[in-house]
Amino acid sequence: MELYLYIALFAPLVGSLYSALFSGSPKSQQVGIVASGLLFTSFLSSAILLTYVMSGHTVHVEMMTWMATGDLYIPFGFVVDQVSVVMMMVVTIVSTVVHVYSIGYMDHDKGFNRFFAWLSAFVFSMMVLVMSDNFAGLFIGWEGVGLCSWGLIGFWYHKESATWAANEAFIMNRIADLGMLIGIFLIYWNVGSLQYDVVFAEIGNLQPVIITWIGIFLFIGAMGKSAQFPLHTWLADAMEGPTPVSALIHAATMVTAGVYLVVRSNAIYDLIPNVGIFIASLGAFVALFAASMALVNRDMKRIIAYSTLSQLGYMFVAAGLGAYWVALFHLMAHAFFKALLFLGAGNVMHAMHDELDPFKMGGLRKVMKGTFVMMTLASVALAGIYPFAGFFSKDLILEVGFVEHHYVIYTVLLLTAGLTAFYSFRLVALIFHGEERYKLFGIHPHEAYKFMLVAMSPLLVLAIIAGSFKMTYFQLVMNLLPATQYHVHDQTTYWIMTIGTQLFVIAAILFAYKKYANWSNVPDGSSAMERSFFYKLLWNQYYIPKMYEEIFAKPYAELSRIAWKQIDLKIVDATVDAIANGIYKTGENTRDIQNGNLSTMLRWMVVGLVVLSILAVAFTVGYNAVGA
Amino acid sequence: MIDHILTLLIFFPALAAMLGFVVTKDSMRAYGIAVAGIEFLLSLWLWYAYDPMVSGMQFMESAPLIPAFGVNYLLGVDGISLFIIILSTFFTLIGIASLTEKRRIKDLIITLLFLEMTMVGVFAALDAIVFYVFWELSLVPMLYIIGAWGGPLRIYASVKFFLYTFTGSLVMLVGMLFMAYFYYQATGQWSFSILEWYRLILPENFQLWLFVAFFLGFAIKVPMFPFHTWLPYAHGQAPTIGSVILAAILLKMGTYAFVRFSLPLFPDASVYFMMPIAIISIIMIVYTAMVAYAQEDIKQVVAYSSISHMGVIILGTFALNVEGVSGSVFLMLAHGVVSGALFLLVGVIYDRRHTKLMSEFGGLASVMPRYAAIFGIMMMASVGLPLTINFVGEFLSLLGFYKQSHMLTLTAGTAIIVGAIYMLSAYKKAFFGNVTNEENKNLKDLNKTELVGLIPLTIVAIWLGVYPKPVLEPINNSVESVIQLMHDKAQSEEAKLRIPDLSGKNGTNTMQEAN
Repeated sequence: MELYLYIALFAPLVGSLYSALFSGSPKSQQVGIVASGLLFTSFLSSAILLTYVMSGHTVHVEMMTWMATGDLYIPFGFVVDQVSVVMMMVVTIVSTVVHVYSIGYMDHDKGFNRFFAWLSAFVFSMMVLVMSDNFAGLFIGWEGVGLCSWGLIGFWYHKESATWAANEAFIMNRIADLGMLIGIFLIYWNVGSLQYDVVFAEIGNLQPVIITWIGIFLFIGAMGKSAQFPLHTWLADAMEGPTPVSALIHAATMVTAGVYLVVRSNAIYDLIPNVGIFIASLGAFVALFAASMALVNRDMKRIIAYSTLSQLGYMFVAAGLGAYWVALFHLMAHAFFKALLFLGAGNVMHAMHDELDPFKMGGLRKVMKGTFVMMTLASVALAGIYPFAGFFSKDLILEVGFVEHHYVIYTVLLLTAGLTAFYSFRLVALIFHGEERYKLFGIHPHEAYKFMLVAMSPLLVLAIIAGSFKMTYFQLVMNLLPATQYHVHDQTTYWIMTIGTQLFVIAAILFAYKKYANWSNVPDGSSAMERSFFYKLLWNQYYIPKMYEEIFAKPYAELSRIAWKQIDLKIVDATVDAIANGIYKTGENTRDIQNGNLSTMLRWMVVGLVVLSILAVAFTVGYNAVGA
Repeated sequence: MIDHILTLLIFFPALAAMLGFVVTKDSMRAYGIAVAGIEFLLSLWLWYAYDPMVSGMQFMESAPLIPAFGVNYLLGVDGISLFIIILSTFFTLIGIASLTEKRRIKDLIITLLFLEMTMVGVFAALDAIVFYVFWELSLVPMLYIIGAWGGPLRIYASVKFFLYTFTGSLVMLVGMLFMAYFYYQATGQWSFSILEWYRLILPENFQLWLFVAFFLGFAIKVPMFPFHTWLPYAHGQAPTIGSVILAAILLKMGTYAFVRFSLPLFPDASVYFMMPIAIISIIMIVYTAMVAYAQEDIKQVVAYSSISHMGVIILGTFALNVEGVSGSVFLMLAHGVVSGALFLLVGVIYDRRHTKLMSEFGGLASVMPRYAAIFGIMMMASVGLPLTINFVGEFLSLLGFYKQSHMLTLTAGTAIIVGAIYMLSAYKKAFFGNVTNEENKNLKDLNKTELVGLIPLTIVAIWLGVYPKPVLEPINNSVESVIQLMHDKAQSEEAKLRIPDLSGKNGTNTMQEAN
């Protein structure tokens, strides 16, 4: 089984290096095919490992030493257990699909080969992240995915907005990574090891305050990767990257790393329920906060990005309330339908020549049947309609909130579910229904390549049926995660809740259709709604990006200039030069003493004699006066 | 021959440099590469013959110089100095092999070989006077390199560099003389041997004064805030080769001397000054990173980034535990490789465009993809991405200091944020965007000479990031003995507490035993 572990882990790396070899040469299709093939191999190995793990085993290998000094010992160790194998399956399935899809999507791009090098490198980093058996290994993957995300957001590096977004994402993640690093330091100095099994076994013996700090710092790390408030702004800007990247990295895998971290560290978070409540509350807040921004946005990809943000909030609610397996389950289901939604959006973008405003589309269902069906079904899954994947995972989180008596969180999530349904179908309605507004802009849309649709189909199937894995999945992960079942015991309440939620969501969908399915014009910002305060607030993302710009970015740049021009040059360096000049001037002014002229020298001798005599007299007098 | 390998390593380049005067100008380059290559192989042999399990000095040589005052020609290496010596020979080789300078190449190569002698001498010396001689001698070739091959302000920059560091070293020399005098008082014999000084237990107030005297010499060399202003001028005016050697090796003399002198000689003073020095380090990390962000000249960005990284090295050194000190020694090597490579890379574009202003570039990634790729790797190493060489050092240094102070480490940890800010924005300005400047449209990508220098550095930067063990293990063993020595010598309660006791661990023996 170790062989399969290594294949699953390193096949993407091989694919990445292979593609990198060609990154200087012109586009060649085989690069994409080889990279996708290797990804598929990785997927097959993961599937074999899954069956092995399902039969009750785990695989744990230690490849070699990484860092060892003092008492610190960090190996490259990998573990395939019930949790990591689920993540491995999600990562390899979505990334294989995205790889194949990208062969079509990036067809006309000059950087085709380079794209696959980055994309496969990302998958490798993600596999390291989920498979490592210690916190340092996790951190390797953590930073690795950050790097690849940087490279892929800024993939079209001639675009100022893209490179800016790439740097923003990297730096914001770095802020969170510092928290994570401090968490790792705390673990090391209190436990003496970074291996999961050791840490989780020993964690109970620590003082509660230290466990709390560990939990907080690790969660700060998670907040960056999973774009939780207040570190959320990078995710929407990250949509500058090519759409397959958004599907893979900024929806299905990387952004869920934070959830994975909390789930993996369940032994820590179980001991600090207060931090858990905070995580859940923040999650609920982000769910609503992000959904509200999606209501008015006019950028197709950003709407989906906000919805991702919102769903990550759901996952954190579950994880924070101790329902780790529910969080992981929603992570999995969400990965499938959200990636599908993004890839569908990619098809639409291709058809519309990179136009992103859904108000400029409309009626596309006639020309893009396949994409229409897929995106609609993905949205249904996202809205959580029975029997799609979202119903099983998302409603479960609502139930968790209810069963754990966090009614405020429950209400917020319920409200968000309605908003989610509304903005998802607002998007679908605007893109695929109504008048063909794109004709105003002289665009002739066309459906994507057949094989791209075929490539997307596994995700479609999974988005529909993933819910039926629930019990199998539960049996699997209950070996590692707390196996609490969340049932509303009272049958009547249960049915009222379930049916009520369904009706509420369906009503939201119908409302969205009614409002947008017959849309006929392109709004120009003059309508009463667009000028209202709330609309503007949401449209400007609560003015948070602007605030960050004013409070952090600009003052930092200004302070840096002051540090250089004023402090470094005018104070520190000027002092050094002043001292040197002082010495130099003293020499200059006293060189007369040594000018070799006899009479001058005699004169100085007399001066010296007088000075010395005065000193001698003064000293003698003073010495006698003290009387020593 | 292996018994005298250190003497050979020191004087072979000097001898070869003398012979270099009679070599013709055309064959000088080949000659230089050959000499530096042999020297590098010799240093690898040293590594091969070095026993990593022994923590004390190896390959010791001793010959009396001034017996009456206990001045001896005393050499030796341990895990701490071994790799810095190899780094010196490695960079001299790379520097000469990738030399693009056209003016007076013969003089330049001779100067570089002399410089190599002084560098190896500093790191191999175990006698304070021998150490001091090489320390000061190293200024001369560098003064010459900046002054003769530098930019328009070269005279100002080189004189500033020389006088500033020289002043610091004089104070250090007074400290050394006092140490020897104290040794004479205590034992009735003169000695300048560092190893014999290690055995002295100094009263705490003596330690404080001596620590400060040594500190001034080292701090200017590192350079630590606020003594750092000579460095931007030196880098700004120095030719590429000068900056490479300066950043990669010469700055390490200061940090190396902290580990060799300050820590084991003055354990109580080290603990006493730990927090003030940590605060200076944090100022170095954050403040210079901000200054780096404000720069318009890409070489100055790298120059200031050097100071910022040296802050992390100093912080790790004053963690006073095995994790931190090992990390800081490793980071010395890492910073050498990465900053050396970055200066080489800046030199590449300077050769083509004769400007270093970032506003002149933009969009280089599409014109020079290979250049952009290697620059990108080195930038990521500089930012401290895991699996690159810098991460190991930075991680261990910060981890080590975390034991001493949580809050200060949290502040110092912003290094990973501010480092990313100035590096990524510099990279964005130079490499991303559209090619707007006509002159950049037809730039040639890296040529063979340049690749010869850069590819080995890239390999090392990743190899030691993935598998640091061959280097980290000998460093760790020697650092353990230094820490144990410090713990044994420490007198104050606080120092005993701050410096861990390793005597319970297997395989740790004190430096005295090893000698």
